[in-house]
Amino acid sequence: MIATPDLIDSLAANMKPVRRLRPPLVRAACWLLLAALVVALLAVSQGMRSDLMPRLCDPAFAVGMAGAVMTGVLAAVAAFLVSLPDRSRSWLLLPAPAAVIWLSNIGYQCLMPWISMGPDGVSVGEATRCLATLVLTSLPLSLAMLVMLRYAAPLRPTAVTLMGSLSVAAITATALSLFHAGDATAMIIMFNFGAAAMFLGLGGLFGRRMFEWIAPRADIS
Amino acid sequence: MADPSSRSPQLRLVGSGCEAAPEASRATIPDTEWAILMAHAQDGDRAAYQRLLREITPYLRSLAARRHRDPGDIEDAVQDVLLTVHAIRHTFDPTRPFGPWLVTIAKRRFIDRLRSQGRRRRRELPLAAEHEAVAALQVRFDEGSDRRELKKAIDELPPMQRQAVHLLRLREMSLKEASQASGMSIASLKVNVHRAVKNLRRMLGDRSET
Repeated sequence: MIATPDLIDSLAANMKPVRRLRPPLVRAACWLLLAALVVALLAVSQGMRSDLMPRLCDPAFAVGMAGAVMTGVLAAVAAFLVSLPDRSRSWLLLPAPAAVIWLSNIGYQCLMPWISMGPDGVSVGEATRCLATLVLTSLPLSLAMLVMLRYAAPLRPTAVTLMGSLSVAAITATALSLFHAGDATAMIIMFNFGAAAMFLGLGGLFGRRMFEWIAPRADIS
Repeated sequence: MADPSSRSPQLRLVGSGCEAAPEASRATIPDTEWAILMAHAQDGDRAAYQRLLREITPYLRSLAARRHRDPGDIEDAVQDVLLTVHAIRHTFDPTRPFGPWLVTIAKRRFIDRLRSQGRRRRRELPLAAEHEAVAALQVRFDEGSDRRELKKAIDELPPMQRQAVHLLRLREMSLKEASQASGMSIASLKVNVHRAVKNLRRMLGDRSET
């Protein structure tokens, strides 16, 4: 073990000037801008679903969409706030109300098609395209979030990962219901839930390890 | 999990300034001064950084002392916090107080440390009386293996020497009894047991050297 005064001397001697982080709200906004860009690019490449406007007039659908969007935005803000050591952990509750609206609306939609039209509503082709949307949305956003919040690794990895995952899942769900007409089918709901559960689960399980892998290391030599 | 003291509200001292501090040393945390030093350090001022780290070290040590007993652990924990502070020094916002920033980092590092120690303790057992007993048993096993080796060496002796050793040393007969039992003369028994012991010493000696 190196003596503490020696460690301090070594750290001071090897110190380089650092650029301070921008305020967490600004950084969250940057990430959300990236999310909007990804969704917009997907909209250009895949095209909006044909019945989007009439569906948006349906209050249940509109509330669910708004809930998903709000969950995505608020969870991202919470992730960037909680990642800083001097912010309260209570920020974790920020996306909770929106998440409740979003998830309860999925639950409501989930019941309807099972009763009215049976489980065979979605063809394989639609399911594959849904999966493509899911991966194309969530992968770049997750990676960007991971890099932007890597400094949180030694602090609150699990909480930050959960918030980040929730945000990505909500935005992915929004993208899915924008592009695919299957929101009233079992398959899309499974994806919605599956995406959220997968990201929350993976985040909880591997978040720490992923953060450790990408975490900044003290450079003493 | 962790130790019970981690639940106590001991860390609020810094965040709320000096009104809640029960100890004099804790009441005099120069929060603003440290924030200024850190701001300079972020801009690349090495002297300010060195001074800051030196000044926070005794404070971190006092925080660590509440969670760790072993002085080595305390020093390790302090160094862990110093390294983390170094690695994420860019996350400090000079417009906000330094104390809560530092204390959260310290708290997280201490808790992580206690958790990993707890995990290690679950995997590893401290050396206790039972382990001494196992070690003693091992010694007896070694004795057993020596005995087997000796028996094997005796079996390798020429027949006359083997019989002499068997009667005189292992069965502990007198020369007269041995002579009657084997039909060998007393002189022959003496010579053979002498040669046998010499041979055994050579054989076992050789074996222990290899």
